[in-house]
Amino acid sequence: MPPKPRKPPPRRPGTRNRNLLIAAAGAVAVVAVLIVVSVVVSGGGDGGTTTTSGGSTETLFAGIPQKGAELGSQTAPVTLIQFEDLQCPICRAYQEDGFSGVVDDYVRPGKVKLRFAGLAFLGQDSEKALRYALAAGDQGKLWPYVAALYANQGDENSGWVTDDLLERLANANGLDWGRLQKDAASKAVASQMEATAAQAAQMGVPGTPTFFVQIGNGQPYVVQPNSFSIDAFRPILDDALSQ
Amino acid sequence: MSDRALRAGVALVALAGTAVAGYLTYVHYQPDALICTSSGGCETVQESSYAELVGVPVALLGLFAWIAVLALVAWDSELARTLVAAIGLGAAAFAVYLVVLQAFVIDAWCVWCLVNDVVLVPLLVILAVWRVLRQPDG
Repeated sequence: MPPKPRKPPPRRPGTRNRNLLIAAAGAVAVVAVLIVVSVVVSGGGDGGTTTTSGGSTETLFAGIPQKGAELGSQTAPVTLIQFEDLQCPICRAYQEDGFSGVVDDYVRPGKVKLRFAGLAFLGQDSEKALRYALAAGDQGKLWPYVAALYANQGDENSGWVTDDLLERLANANGLDWGRLQKDAASKAVASQMEATAAQAAQMGVPGTPTFFVQIGNGQPYVVQPNSFSIDAFRPILDDALSQ
Repeated sequence: MSDRALRAGVALVALAGTAVAGYLTYVHYQPDALICTSSGGCETVQESSYAELVGVPVALLGLFAWIAVLALVAWDSELARTLVAAIGLGAAAFAVYLVVLQAFVIDAWCVWCLVNDVVLVPLLVILAVWRVLRQPDG
């Protein structure tokens, strides 16, 4: 004869409440740790913060993927290639005008990715700034570092790209300063600069800033917005996206 | 509602959660497989710096959590019920954080993440807490 199933003893209400309290306390503790780790690791991870006086890059790049000299989703159908010189005041004007709109309206939703094509034809300060910007790309933070450099741009070849400035901006953006210095002096960065200069010559880049649009893996074509406002870039990018 | 029905409900929700989190984990490593409903928001969220926690995809953490719930439902003891409630409450708190991130920081919406965070996780909390609180039969 099979044994008679025994009825479980009724639980006391106090036990239920205690169990739920234990569950809630455990949950709060684990999640608090996860959120703190997420904020610490990711919050500054995309280089949200800078010491810039102009431009609130604190939120501009937050959460957007950065890979080397590229900003945005790797699967974005359109690429906007930006030939720039970090000493060029017109490039800075673009940075302060339509750039944030391009990032917010096209890069963040995954429609367009940006490729920084840095040139250094204006002089020594251009070259030094570019070396460090490209080195910041190795740490996934080229874009906020470039934004910080533009915001602190000095007179052409006045020696404004000092080690102090570079270190201050590196620290503000959570970059490893020692590694940045090492990478900036590396052959890899020099090769990257030479390749971009050769590409600019081959594409007939007349100066900076010059913009090219690339649809998928197609041939890039030059575009000439009539101003640096987002309204000037909108039809160019919308047109590329509709093809 | 009987404990049996609640248990089946938790199991069903956990199965659905495992499927969604499994899919999100898969597309984390195979971005081309992502099926989105509008304007690339899924990609932006999936490729954002918040998609990983110290190198571990958040979707994979979710997958582990859902699998743990399935195992605990199969085990079915008082401790298991409490642990399911703990996982549910923790997941709910983390889901709130992820939704806030999408709304105010990343500024893009991942529909599959929302299915997990806004539908499945709250369902799990309701069912799991109900199981802990309910009076025993008889």
